[in-house]
Amino acid sequence: MLKLLRNLIKEPMFVIGMSLFLITMIAGLLGPSLYTASPNGMSYARPSAEYWLGTDNLGHDYVALLLRGLQNSLYVGFMAGIIATTIGTLVGLFAGFKGGLVDDILTMFTNLFIVIPSFVVLVLVSASWPEGRSLTLIAVLIGLTTWPWTARSVRAQAASLRGRDHISLARINGATNLQIIFKHILPYLASYVFMVFIMQVASGILSESAISMIGLGPIGEGSTSLGVILNTAKNNSAITYGYWWGIFPAAIVITMIVFALYLLNNSMEGVFNPRLRK
Amino acid sequence: MADILEVKDLSLHYLTRFGQKVHAVTNVSFTMKQGEILGIAGESGCGKSTLVNGLMGLFIPPLYPTGGDVLVSGESLMNRTPEDVRLNVLSQKVSMIPQGAFNALNPTRKIKDIALDVIAAHSASKKLNEKEVYARLRERFDLFGMETERILNSYPIQLTAGERQRSVIGISTLLNPKVVIADEPTSALDVTTQKVVIKMIFDLLERNIFSTMIFITHELPLLRHVAHNIAIMYAGEFVECGTSTQVVHDPRHPYTKALMGAMLSADAGQKDRKPTTIEGAPPSLAKTITGCRFAERCPNARVCEFKHKNQSMRMVGERLVRCDYVE
Amino acid sequence: MLKKYPTVRYVLQRAIWYFLTFLVAIALNFFLPRLGSDPVDIMMAQSSFSSPEIRKQTEENLRKSFGLIVIDKQGQIVRDEQGNAVRASKLSQLFNYSKQVLKGDLGTSFKNKKPVKEIILQALPWTIALQFPAILFGWICGNLLGALAAYRRGVFDKAIFPLALLMSSIPFFVFGMVLVYFFGIIWDIFPAVGAYSLQLTPGFYLDFLLSAAYHYVLPFFSIFLILAGGQAIGMRSMGIYELGTDYIKYAKWLGLKESRVLIYLFRNAMLPQLTGLALSIGAMVGGALITEMIFSYPGLGMAMLTAIQTNDYPVIQGVTLLITTSVLLANFTVDILIALLDPRVKASLAMDAK
Repeated sequence: MLKLLRNLIKEPMFVIGMSLFLITMIAGLLGPSLYTASPNGMSYARPSAEYWLGTDNLGHDYVALLLRGLQNSLYVGFMAGIIATTIGTLVGLFAGFKGGLVDDILTMFTNLFIVIPSFVVLVLVSASWPEGRSLTLIAVLIGLTTWPWTARSVRAQAASLRGRDHISLARINGATNLQIIFKHILPYLASYVFMVFIMQVASGILSESAISMIGLGPIGEGSTSLGVILNTAKNNSAITYGYWWGIFPAAIVITMIVFALYLLNNSMEGVFNPRLRK
Repeated sequence: MADILEVKDLSLHYLTRFGQKVHAVTNVSFTMKQGEILGIAGESGCGKSTLVNGLMGLFIPPLYPTGGDVLVSGESLMNRTPEDVRLNVLSQKVSMIPQGAFNALNPTRKIKDIALDVIAAHSASKKLNEKEVYARLRERFDLFGMETERILNSYPIQLTAGERQRSVIGISTLLNPKVVIADEPTSALDVTTQKVVIKMIFDLLERNIFSTMIFITHELPLLRHVAHNIAIMYAGEFVECGTSTQVVHDPRHPYTKALMGAMLSADAGQKDRKPTTIEGAPPSLAKTITGCRFAERCPNARVCEFKHKNQSMRMVGERLVRCDYVE
Repeated sequence: MLKKYPTVRYVLQRAIWYFLTFLVAIALNFFLPRLGSDPVDIMMAQSSFSSPEIRKQTEENLRKSFGLIVIDKQGQIVRDEQGNAVRASKLSQLFNYSKQVLKGDLGTSFKNKKPVKEIILQALPWTIALQFPAILFGWICGNLLGALAAYRRGVFDKAIFPLALLMSSIPFFVFGMVLVYFFGIIWDIFPAVGAYSLQLTPGFYLDFLLSAAYHYVLPFFSIFLILAGGQAIGMRSMGIYELGTDYIKYAKWLGLKESRVLIYLFRNAMLPQLTGLALSIGAMVGGALITEMIFSYPGLGMAMLTAIQTNDYPVIQGVTLLITTSVLLANFTVDILIALLDPRVKASLAMDAK
């Protein structure tokens, strides 16, 4: 484990990804409580010493909005990631380990929900919640629609472990299925599941911003997200009038988090899977 | 007769990601005459497979030549462009029969197409007459006593392990190479198939499809039946070279002795002998090594006064041994 | 059955599976919008009516078009003693809805009273014209780049890989906005919105086609480039994996031409990428639909956005069902393509049949 960490630290991709990730995490967690914006009535004020990134159509300070949006987007991403990874890992583990009929049924479900676009499900459900569409509701929905990806890849890994000697040995020694799954298979997949989790968080953040872009994002005081900021700016002609500060900061922040997560995932893949090294 | 293969002080190294040099092969020298079969044996990781790349003049990064020369019928393989080596050396001068034939064949290509690719890669004319080439292919594969038509038109997955290995041998020797390097061609096969494959290689030798062969294996006893001469490799160096009778029946270098001791043998008088293991591991090749490379594992190390000195090849009992201690 | 024709058997099996999935999709399409609140209630709450009679009439028509109330054989609404329409049970509602959908009837738009089918058929060609080439070329170019990066490594890889990774982390719509901002507004090189100049009426004549092509550039590239980035990343790792395999080493030992080795590599790494395409096509289409919204491109994405803004449920449901259907069809096509292209799959099909 320590050796893996040491190898990771030598990886420039990992260092850059980790730094970006830590910066966004700290900004998202502490930012909203540390930075208080001064009220302003001017619509789309240009960036100035007072408003570093200008104001939005209603005169809200963009720095404050972005910090709050970052916090909320991260919340949705992590919440969705945790839900999707938990469901997906459990389904994948059982399908891959049990094999046979259990596998067939679980795999059928997984494939069913992979081919039915989660975007469609998100749109349909969100549209039926015109009121009370909270961040948590959206996060849960994303988590409930994106787990098949995790299930699919975990299943493949678990199935490849099933035939290993130490599993057979544990079974001969009378370990129950649950014991085998959690003691002998899950630990081997820990690094893998962690990498999948990172991707799920990224896809959660992206899904949230997508659903916000079509006007089905979270509603309510203080529940603005990066996607909502972009959608508001777009709907209020920030692009048409060239108010770059309405679009670019939020766009860069979304891209930066996702890029950081992708970098982390890729650098870990390089270290955990030696074939990619060289 | 002139030497068909001449290797002079060949040294090869890898460059790691962090710029470190790993000296996988150090000062290997030997010559081979037309019709000779040389066996090379050693533990895994001793540099056998790296040596193979060097003998073909194939330097794909991160593998680089450090020094020395390889001459095939008098022509050097060093300092040539990769394209020159590809076109004029590989498959024609030096060819290779790899181990694990299942993975060596492109899973999405039929055997005949892989074989045609080899012919196309080495033909001067741009357009091949497919029918003519296919006929040539059939004729060659007919020699192997297989169901030629079915095998040529199969994907690797549709063939048995033995059929795949034989297809690989057929493809590797298609252009009548001057020297064939067989890298553990039988290691992944069951005993019956092993015999079939060995027999097939000797059939090809008899028919003069090729005549000179380097046979690499970790099973030293196998070499006694196959090879004329044997070289033992340890930590990137040859440590003993001699005729197969000399090396197998009268090993001199302590490593060769240990290697023979580690083998199970069914020979008369050897049945009751228990195999011994060689303790320890070879030295890391990423560092410069001074002194005898085998010293740490050598049973004679305690009494040997030469172990801090770099060992060089010298004649002991009519064969070359890299050990200053043994007589 | 059909043991002699494993491939045909496989195609049939897949067809049945996708049809069943389609039925599940219809059921989801029906139930999901009812998870929160009743769509008819939402729609009714948004409109004002001159008299309670008209209000009741509209509500009944809506419920009828959704298959929510019982209808007799003559197509008349069945009423109880108070003259109220009898509500259908959830199951028969689903049954009615499925029957309508399978007949090709997607209902009537709540806002402009046009049949949903008509609205969709108007938007569909634009979406197909935009997304099909963008996804296809993005996939091909991304995979070529990824394979090259894997094969050459070195400087090429060091330059391409982080760039592709960055590209793949940009959401489609964000990139679309950036393109609109620079090329459409600031530098004003390409039109920022629409699919053709509004002075022209759509038709097959040169001026219109030129205008359409001019408007096509930005939305096309905003989908194409992002997609290519993501595909290049996937292909690169597949390619590196395949490069380490024995058959590539053997091909090099045999002295095959570099171009031939590259073909080996590309073809074999492409097969899992094709499976990947099948699995992610839903996500791609979703992302690309939002791109349409950024450019006000008159395709399905725009139709859906308008419908969402006006709570026009029949249109939302029609569009989502169409998206799901086309994603299922795309998956089906890819499944069959793989079975035809990969001898390993073919061999295992033949083995299963035995």
